[in-house]
Amino acid sequence: MKRKLSIYIGLCILLISNAVKAQETKPLIQSKLEGTVVDAVTKEPVIGASVNIKGTTHGVVTDLDGKFFFQTGQKFPYTLVVSYLGYKKAEVVVDKNAVVIDLTQEQNALSEVVVTALGISKEKKSLGYTTQALKGNQLAETKETNFLNSLSGKLAGVRITNSQGDMGSSRIIIRGETSIAGNNQPLFVVDGVPVDNSQLGSVGGATRDFKNAIADLNPQDIETLTVLKGPNAAALYGSRAAHGVVLITTKSGKGQKGLGITINSGLTISEVNILPSFQNSFGQGSNGRFSYVDGKGGGINDGVDESWGPKLDGRLIPQFYSNGVAVPFVAHPNNVKDYFNTGVTYDNSISIAKANEKSDFRLGVNNQKQLGIVPNSEVNKTNFSLNTNYQVSENIKVGVNANYIVTDAPALPGGPSGGRAAGVMLQFLWFGRQVDINELKNNRNVNWNNSYYSNPYWTAYYNTTSQQRNRLIGDIHLDAKLAEGLNFKFRTGVDYYNDRRKYTIKYGTNGTPFGSYAEDAYTVNERNTEGIFQYTKKLSDDFSLDALAGFNVRSRNDANNYQKAPRLAVPDLYTLTNSRDPLTSSNSLSRLKVYSAYASAQFGFRNYAFLNVTARNDWSSTLPSSNRSYFYPSVNGSVVLTDALNIKSSTLDFLKIRGGWSEVGNDADPYQLSTVYNFQTAFDGNPIQTSSKKKLNENLKPETTRSTEFGIESSFWKNRLHFDVAYYNTNSFDQILEIKTSTSSGYDSQLINAGKINNRGFEVQLDGTPVQTENFKWNIGVNYSKNISKVEVLDYDGLIKNYTIGSSGGVEVLASVGQAYGALYGTAYERDADGNIVVGTNGLPKADPTKRVLGHYTPDFLAGVTNTLSYKNLELSFLVDASVGGEIFSGTNRTGTYTGVLAQTMPGRDAAHGGLNYYYVGDVKTQLTGTTAPGGATVYDDGMIFNGVLADGTPNTKIVSAQEYYKGSYNISEAYIYSSTFVKLREIKLAYNFNKKLVKKFGLEGASLTAVGRNLLFIYKDAPNIDPETAFNTGNAQGLESLALPTTRSYSLNLNLKF
Amino acid sequence: MLKKLLYTSLFALTLSSCSDSLDDVNKNPNATETPLAPYLLTGTLKQGADLYWGDASNFNSSLLFVQHWAKIQYTEPDRYDVSNTSFTSLWNTGYSTLITDLNTILNFPESQANSNYKGIALTLRSWTFLLLTDAYGSIPYKEAGQKITPAYDTQKEVYTGLLEDLARAQSLLNTASGSVTGDLAYKGDISKWKKLVNSLRLRIALRISDREPVLAKQAAIDATSDAAGVLASNNDTFKFTYISSPQQNPASAWFETRDDFRISKTLVDKLYEFSDPRLPVYAQLPSDASVGKYVGGGNGLSNSNANSQGFAKTSKPGTYFLTSTSPAVIVSYSETLFNLAEAAARGYISGDPEQYYKNAITASFNQFGITDATVISNYLNQAVVKYDASNYAKSIGTQKWIAFFGQGLDAFTEWRRLDYPVLKAGADAVLDGQIPSRFFYPGTEQSLNGNSYQAAVAVQGRDLLTTKLWFDVK
Repeated sequence: MKRKLSIYIGLCILLISNAVKAQETKPLIQSKLEGTVVDAVTKEPVIGASVNIKGTTHGVVTDLDGKFFFQTGQKFPYTLVVSYLGYKKAEVVVDKNAVVIDLTQEQNALSEVVVTALGISKEKKSLGYTTQALKGNQLAETKETNFLNSLSGKLAGVRITNSQGDMGSSRIIIRGETSIAGNNQPLFVVDGVPVDNSQLGSVGGATRDFKNAIADLNPQDIETLTVLKGPNAAALYGSRAAHGVVLITTKSGKGQKGLGITINSGLTISEVNILPSFQNSFGQGSNGRFSYVDGKGGGINDGVDESWGPKLDGRLIPQFYSNGVAVPFVAHPNNVKDYFNTGVTYDNSISIAKANEKSDFRLGVNNQKQLGIVPNSEVNKTNFSLNTNYQVSENIKVGVNANYIVTDAPALPGGPSGGRAAGVMLQFLWFGRQVDINELKNNRNVNWNNSYYSNPYWTAYYNTTSQQRNRLIGDIHLDAKLAEGLNFKFRTGVDYYNDRRKYTIKYGTNGTPFGSYAEDAYTVNERNTEGIFQYTKKLSDDFSLDALAGFNVRSRNDANNYQKAPRLAVPDLYTLTNSRDPLTSSNSLSRLKVYSAYASAQFGFRNYAFLNVTARNDWSSTLPSSNRSYFYPSVNGSVVLTDALNIKSSTLDFLKIRGGWSEVGNDADPYQLSTVYNFQTAFDGNPIQTSSKKKLNENLKPETTRSTEFGIESSFWKNRLHFDVAYYNTNSFDQILEIKTSTSSGYDSQLINAGKINNRGFEVQLDGTPVQTENFKWNIGVNYSKNISKVEVLDYDGLIKNYTIGSSGGVEVLASVGQAYGALYGTAYERDADGNIVVGTNGLPKADPTKRVLGHYTPDFLAGVTNTLSYKNLELSFLVDASVGGEIFSGTNRTGTYTGVLAQTMPGRDAAHGGLNYYYVGDVKTQLTGTTAPGGATVYDDGMIFNGVLADGTPNTKIVSAQEYYKGSYNISEAYIYSSTFVKLREIKLAYNFNKKLVKKFGLEGASLTAVGRNLLFIYKDAPNIDPETAFNTGNAQGLESLALPTTRSYSLNLNLKF
Repeated sequence: MLKKLLYTSLFALTLSSCSDSLDDVNKNPNATETPLAPYLLTGTLKQGADLYWGDASNFNSSLLFVQHWAKIQYTEPDRYDVSNTSFTSLWNTGYSTLITDLNTILNFPESQANSNYKGIALTLRSWTFLLLTDAYGSIPYKEAGQKITPAYDTQKEVYTGLLEDLARAQSLLNTASGSVTGDLAYKGDISKWKKLVNSLRLRIALRISDREPVLAKQAAIDATSDAAGVLASNNDTFKFTYISSPQQNPASAWFETRDDFRISKTLVDKLYEFSDPRLPVYAQLPSDASVGKYVGGGNGLSNSNANSQGFAKTSKPGTYFLTSTSPAVIVSYSETLFNLAEAAARGYISGDPEQYYKNAITASFNQFGITDATVISNYLNQAVVKYDASNYAKSIGTQKWIAFFGQGLDAFTEWRRLDYPVLKAGADAVLDGQIPSRFFYPGTEQSLNGNSYQAAVAVQGRDLLTTKLWFDVK
């Protein structure tokens, strides 16, 4: 293999040097050309249109006035090719005179140009698959601090899950989960450089939901974002294309005449979107009794952190702040709400750009300061971006792109895995309803409960996690014209970052009396080098050829180093040496390398029928040498029927059918071939070795995903209505699965090559303009997608029926044979043959010892509807998106029901809420039939009877207290499974573009003001007390909610000025 | 200039692609592929002791069921309000750590582990299987570690298989067969391992005595007639002694940060009833000095009822058990003597059951540092302590229960088999007045080894805490 590659490279060198020699002898002729590109109807300048000299690599982009300028060695007359998204491509022959080029808006999608794999622009009609693109401002104006969130509802087949809170991660899935065990998120490519989107440290005891790495990007720098949905579109990316590719092109200085300065300033206010609905009738305690002494069992039930205490009727009871004095016991209905702050994000950026005939550059700086809803939480991020190109000679162009990103978060909000020491919502789902949050705010050293928790302000200010990340994403690239129709592109790029987290727990924290300190440091380094030869030729009047061949070398190094002082020696000194115990530590290194060679060809027939074929071979270090090399092809085609059949109709503008088949392979993670043994801390000088509990596999084969796609695209009534329907069917098999196994097999997990998962579905994109007048336009965009997944096989012997994706609170998330991906598997109520819940002699429901599938987290369908109304320079748009179907297991409801803090625990708690009267005979509760109990026994009014039957089938009549009733289903997962369907008013945006002539008086080239509201309203949802969209992290174990940080609603104002 | 640029970049590319082979890239720098017998042995002893003496299978479950300890906070496990996620660590650590590492030693060629390593590994593996079957019932045994979805074997098959394994272990162990390092329990003293093997055979003989008396008798004879003998003094007790943090006794580590356990009222009351001098060893006086006597916590109370007993007014377990160097006793000399007493009482072996019984109690006293002969004989001569030949199960069961203090899994098993002392579920327990008779299988067995699980449950009975196991006749 090594030999093959070096021969190949040798060949490259030979080719290029010859070509270069041939060109250097040509004399340079200077020719200058000025021009303007305008809309053919409105005569407004078209900004950012690309203008290329046909048959050369010369290309510029129009500036804010629609102007462009060339100074080249090209002899007049020559042909300019002008293109811009949404306009028909124009070809104009020019001589030395200044030229005004009219661009006509697309009446159909006939000549739309889109970005495809490897960043190559192609006419959309020539593609046998769908792509969908968003412009940078659609991302930037939302002011989301994790820009993935701004994609929600805007792209068909793309599912975004905002994990939790306002500083957390977001997960993106395109066309369903195609990998049972592995990463299912798409590959991100920024200006040709593959960019990491890991969520490091999300597993294994991280106390925070750290942002996924792609959130580092600054949306202000993004020109366009194109989604290649699945293998058909992305086959050339090889191994990593199975889950789709998101291509991001950043802004450049192209076409900027003179010095252009853009200033953007945004302010975002965010608030808690949803909190559980709490009851305000009963306070802390148990069995109706409570009195505070020390908060850990010294008083009456004061170690109890539940709200089954006395009525909040103003009776006098000593409380945590009253030094033993009995004070009124009253509700504080907003005690959780008042803890949260109003979040503020300041976002300021400036960019300068300039271009001349030989070079262009854009330099941007963005600073974002976010103060979160959780007290003390803060993230600061600064992005520097540089984009330059230089025409070295007639045929050679070189450039550099660089993004340097500094993230400094002094404190991130505590998610559920922060536990009692650092979690936020955990404490609040146990929080006494009488607790006055202001008393806690004023004195962080006191708390309402000391047996389990520390003061929530103590945890927010002292038990912090900080994060510092320095990242460089960049590349150098070269474009060379080797001969007529033959170009060579070379690019080498890097994504390098280090990410340090520091975890502090203060001395004196309840449950962690000595505090602790840990440092967790990651380094990620991915490098890609690629060279591509492109060849374009018109073979005859009817046939055209567009071919490429290239290679890529990918190498990736990851490192992690974790050290923890488990108990501090002295307070408030956070160093690793300040430790009572030996440090606990771990470190890991990982390397991988993949060589690839690929080729593709597009054959065109009369510009209405196209056939595309691709082929790629990868050699991956992670596979055994015998299976290391794997090849995979794809083929797709399209026919523009309106042209092929010469349909001329005033109704139907355009009709295209397309279809394709593709295969992509995938390799393994590093070091999956040989089973290893781990060392543990030595015991008194005796080393300890133990199994890694993971049985690896020396015979791994590459994974394969095969996908078929068909689609129809059509437009009507001069493009007033446009629709695109895609159907796809994807089978992934030979998957490299680390299957969880019964430990009785000897291992917790074993690595096998097996599994088959099928995903099929369809997507509809509909775009309509019901009203269009000179000044007013109403546009509706609809996205709909439905994905049906089925896990068909796990191991080929049929022994394994379930693959465990994750678990929480006794509920496992499974890939279960015969089921949709993401089955929620847990304990159900025991039921009799008629479906009645069986109740024990204690009057409480019984759990069926046999676990069951209780739901699936994957939704039935997703939809988004955007309405855009524009009147002159004013534009109003609103986006409603929906996720229908699927289930979620809610830890918030489970805990809050157990602790009696939720409003849903009110029925039956007293006579006013339907509680039954009972008295005790011995220690047996007996329902009271009259008005007084025999012998003057105390009468209680919180009796309830669970609606079920006894084992013998007779109705349950056993009376229990409300406290027993609501705690009775804690271990029955079925009780806390909800539909995760929701419909959200996701976004309202109002934008005003100031009149150009007006702003010119102030020395401005352009100005706009945008107001955006995000996550404004739940139009519909089933799951109470939570946002059903939440999750733990970006992994595959979705559908589990446990005391997640609340999601936020935000309002932002953004001013953009161009000089 | 242009050429230079191109050459440079292509040269760089060639360099980066060919500097090392793809096989080298994939060589794992984080862990070793080569296990070593002494290191695995140390690991299994430490992890086995942590498992047997730690929270999940001991003081947060079995030690509560037998009412040695009680919970004063988080009382769910003490009320048996637990689910099939509760008893997973005995199963998981037992199989994928202990049995897997011991099998690695057993599979080594002679050059990597002499027969004494293998004898020790087989002994420890038998002990692990024994704990598993005692707690869960039918378990994967023959196919454990062999198949991806191992079938379950019945208790009868497991116990008889273990008797054969231990006989083989006995023949592997030989003081002349080379030395063993990494043995933190017996410091490489093979003769002690040979005694432990016989004591375990005797233990298993009694496990099956109510079901397979003929086989049980033969096993008891085999165990006691073997030349190596059984555990013969407290020096032979199989235990693991901890050092300092983080290698400290797991119960001691727990009490450093948490305060949710007390000694059980049932045990304290029994020790008061017997004027048992082990009480000050087993319990601490309540921190509120005004109480002035040992007060146990009630088992099976609601959180609030447990709480209101007062953290300062109830006794924690004795400091003997809660210092960082406290040993994890795994197989004691006194247990062996109780087993000899019962084997004699059943007529399996010769000897005076009463004398074995007295020796067993004496050994227990000595184990906890009580050596005064007068104190011991006064205790033994009490009517409530005296051996009752007409109901040996009561005498042996009650005293064994006291002597097993802290060894929750074995106390739980012997209490189920001998049915003494008579224990009563706590007031707020959720099993309709019953005390558990077993552990739930881990819930993941249903998802990961479903067919085997279903087949096992079909034979053994529903996967409930109250389902009686094969050995537990009454």
